[in-house]
Amino acid sequence: MKILIAVGSKEYSGPTLRVGMKVSHAFKASTTIVDVGEKVSSFNTKVVGLAQDRMESWDFSRPGVDVLEWAFEFLAEKKFIETKAIKAGFPKNTLVDTGGNRSEVYLKGTVSDEVSLILRNGEIISELRDEVQSHQYDVTIIGGSKKRRMAHDLIQYIDSSIFIVNNYNPDQSYKILLAVDDSIATSKAVQYGARVAQAFNIDVDILTISKTEIFGEGYKNAANRAAKFLRRCGIQHQNIYKIGNPSKVIKEIAGENHIIVMGTSTRNPLKKFFKGSKPLKVMENCQCPILIVK
Amino acid sequence: MLGFSHRSLANFLFWVTQKKWFLITMMVGIILMLLPTPDGLSLEGYRIIIIVITALMLIVTEPIPLPAIALYILISEVYLGIGSANGIAKSFMNDAVFFIMGSLMLAVAIIKQGWDTRIALGIIKITGNKTANIAFGFTAISAILSSFIGEHTVAAIMLPIGMTLIHFTSENDEKVQNISAVLLFSIAYGCLVGSIGTPSGGGRNVIMIDYLRSSNLSISYIDWMLLVYPLVLIQIPIVSWILIKSFPPEYNQLDSGVRKLVVQVAKSAELTGRNSVAAFIFLLVFLGWIFFSETIGLGTIALTGVLMYLVGGFVKWEDLSKNTHWGVILLFGSTISLGANIKSTGAAEWLAGSVINIIGPILNTLPFLGDLLVTIMTTVMANVLSSSATVAVLGPITMNIGNDPMHMGLVTAISSAFGYFTAVAAPACTIVYSSGMVKAKDFLKVGWKMGLVSIFLLVIYANTYWLLFS
Repeated sequence: MKILIAVGSKEYSGPTLRVGMKVSHAFKASTTIVDVGEKVSSFNTKVVGLAQDRMESWDFSRPGVDVLEWAFEFLAEKKFIETKAIKAGFPKNTLVDTGGNRSEVYLKGTVSDEVSLILRNGEIISELRDEVQSHQYDVTIIGGSKKRRMAHDLIQYIDSSIFIVNNYNPDQSYKILLAVDDSIATSKAVQYGARVAQAFNIDVDILTISKTEIFGEGYKNAANRAAKFLRRCGIQHQNIYKIGNPSKVIKEIAGENHIIVMGTSTRNPLKKFFKGSKPLKVMENCQCPILIVK
Repeated sequence: MLGFSHRSLANFLFWVTQKKWFLITMMVGIILMLLPTPDGLSLEGYRIIIIVITALMLIVTEPIPLPAIALYILISEVYLGIGSANGIAKSFMNDAVFFIMGSLMLAVAIIKQGWDTRIALGIIKITGNKTANIAFGFTAISAILSSFIGEHTVAAIMLPIGMTLIHFTSENDEKVQNISAVLLFSIAYGCLVGSIGTPSGGGRNVIMIDYLRSSNLSISYIDWMLLVYPLVLIQIPIVSWILIKSFPPEYNQLDSGVRKLVVQVAKSAELTGRNSVAAFIFLLVFLGWIFFSETIGLGTIALTGVLMYLVGGFVKWEDLSKNTHWGVILLFGSTISLGANIKSTGAAEWLAGSVINIIGPILNTLPFLGDLLVTIMTTVMANVLSSSATVAVLGPITMNIGNDPMHMGLVTAISSAFGYFTAVAAPACTIVYSSGMVKAKDFLKVGWKMGLVSIFLLVIYANTYWLLFS
């Protein structure tokens, strides 16, 4: 299991790191933290590279390395990772260019076996997609964005499950809102939901929504199977059955004290592109963290 | 759907979203091809204008890599019958392309020499500790050096000096935001105003000299300096003043920063004989540009310098190859080919004629308006394209506006350096922005002031000082 946590700034990435590392520990996953810096004008990539080489010779790190350094220290301080000081390690923050706007970052004199640090430059969706495809991550964890297009592109184009850490407050008590239906993505969503519930030590609300007054057999079975699985895992849970528009109902029930877990849409990508999808609508409407399982 | 998996459809959609501007550009090109050729313009002339429009759209939106845009230009010129394959290949390479290649390679060789510590010490010795004086020193040194070496080289050398001084003044970035802006913009804008001073200040100057030469007009290195360098000297204090007024520094004196910088520089390696020889080689290149550029060409002399650095072991070929942007050279070659063919097909004359038809009567009564129009047009294009590509494409057209191609050519080359408005307009701006210590919005905040001042200054300068030489 491999988890990718995307950070962007010291001011806003703390909650993403907290949630990311909890999930990562729950899955016993190897974790990579990535910072995607701004795209450099193609005309000037080489001269900027030369200038940054000179900056390094004067002991200045490239932009983005400071964010990764902060993330590493944040995780060490909050005891999410154990660090080792190595006297014979890198004398300064060191970047190893692995090609295609991507560098592995090794921090000065310290190391942790639990996280790797990656610095990329370019358009964020394109870089995250490339990182996920080339290194086969299972879950990508990223902070919330107000841009609708960003949400759409994350769901549509990133080939891993996506955990969007919207407005996460570490001091608030959360429950998991596990949305189930008869789609094939539901069973994996139930497994992931159970793991996240264990990681955060919280209860689960299993939500089944029907657009009509009659709940089909597929929906009932999905809800029962989810309940059975959670019972086996020893997780407190309750089944909720609601009628209405799925994204609106999920928004109403989720409020601000749930972490939503749901399967990805199995719609044809062309239809998703033009008409959107249930997870996308939920993501646009809801103000709480949301995990979309692929 | 049609046997395609969801994943392959998603990949296709991603490709479409990434390449949407390429697809839009191609559609624009096809629509223009279907329209009738305008009166007075040859078919080849109309087709080259279509290639220019589509190439500019691709350069601005960049849906495909720059070298791919270069290939698009070259093959379109052949496929659309602008010239034969050999003719297009010949128009692709000239001394200006040699110069751009040579100056990019010289930049690698010079930056690797580590002259920044010496320059840092030099600036501090001259300016002392006062923030305003240091800002002036940064602007002046950046401008003077970049007028000879080229803006990208000087910006790369000066950036760490500026950053170190800022860092030593305060490690808390928020306490030195304005000082950061003043010093780093002094470097970027200093490089820009300086790059017009001599032909070797930028590839765009050499491209213009080549266009002038093809119109049987010649300008020597010294003549260019006589005509343009005073403008550099006038702009240096103006840049400094605008920056200090736009970003009032948090501290009037940088005592502790300067002291620590001097200690840091003192700790760095002493000047070696090898460093002196490397500087001497550049001096030879510089003298070659002054005395032989009209006969041998600026590009050949720059490449001679590169050869000397390679033979002397001052730089490894692997470093040159890795750090030289071959794609940019390819693109500049293709835009120069575009420029040559705009001229040869008569499209340049037709475009210039269309402009004159609109503003001709006004130009007769107020001749400086032509300068203003060309300056604004070039400035706008240089801020969304690159300065060299702007001159390559616009040069043949603007030279045909008015009765004095030399005058308009110089105005075009100079105003292509007014890339103050965005972080991506000029290499010096991008380099400074890459430090992460100035914000993109700061470029607009101060850039419009610099842009206005430079535009009006150039128009006044060109219509007063140049009259002495006419």
